[in-house]
Amino acid sequence: MATKRDMVVRPAHDLGGLPAGPVVPSDHEMTPFEKSCHALLNVLAEHKLVNTEEKRRGVEDLGAQIIGELTYYERWAVSASRVLIEKGVITSEELGARMNEIRARLTEAAA
Amino acid sequence: MTTTHDPAHGTVDHGDHTHGGTGGADPHAPIENTAGEPDYFDVLQQAIRELLVEKGLISADEVRAMVETLDAHRPALGSALVARAWTDPAFKERLLADGTAAIEEFGIDNYDGTKLIVLEQTPEVHNLVVCTLCSCYPRPVLGLPPDWYKSRPYRARAVREPRALLKEFGTEVPDGVTIRVHDSNANMRYLVLPMRPAGTEDMSEPELAALVTRDTMIGVTTPRLP
Repeated sequence: MATKRDMVVRPAHDLGGLPAGPVVPSDHEMTPFEKSCHALLNVLAEHKLVNTEEKRRGVEDLGAQIIGELTYYERWAVSASRVLIEKGVITSEELGARMNEIRARLTEAAA
Repeated sequence: MTTTHDPAHGTVDHGDHTHGGTGGADPHAPIENTAGEPDYFDVLQQAIRELLVEKGLISADEVRAMVETLDAHRPALGSALVARAWTDPAFKERLLADGTAAIEEFGIDNYDGTKLIVLEQTPEVHNLVVCTLCSCYPRPVLGLPPDWYKSRPYRARAVREPRALLKEFGTEVPDGVTIRVHDSNANMRYLVLPMRPAGTEDMSEPELAALVTRDTMIGVTTPRLP
């Protein structure tokens, strides 16, 4: 269990040099969600809306627990949304409203 | 923990939930579950895209084109690049001098705009690439990183005990050989140029390329004859 000092000195992403178990040689084909998310984030970087460093900082800001629970691209999506809100590119109100619209659309399409 | 297929109707969740509650790390989890509740994160990324398209900041075509770019960039590009370097000494020299310029000369689209540094394996030095902070990787030449590259054990141990780590990949680096570990960052990416194996003098460029696997270009393995 990490001590309080460790939590401050070693944020969740800063793994270099820490003890850890064996590397499991794992991989998987990307899901459509992962691919869309990756493509979106690349386009955001191209337009300097969310660059790689901002994205990573956005992930780090989620904190150890969320980082541990969410998958890689789930973290990217949340990070992008927070960075865009922070920078005033979108507001959380319009994002929430749009998410409700999309959810309604998808639910209707599935029904 | 058992997985529940409970559609959880009636509760409008505002995003604090995690799926299945098992730590979420399953990348194979379905995007739209059969119960009909759209996946929170998929909805989130769609919403971001739609809003930015409406604001005229990005276009939907760009995102579609980027999906195709991601599909097109596979480790085979890196393999062909290495085979060329093995057969064309002048190209190899240019590749080591300026990786970014050389891959563009070779016809690889350096689509993420990062700087590429090519590291030559020699009898004296074995290079190994990692990104301790996250997952930076030479995507234009190798495609997307494998899951293990992004995993905690690889990121944590590569800079501390590379020799032991390499042994787990079946790679024995003799004690007299220096191991140099390169930690990638957002703007600077590394590609390993493996040593051409002995006994390949008569091989064609495509035959050579077939020996160059993704892992040899990360530095966790070395090319082997079939």
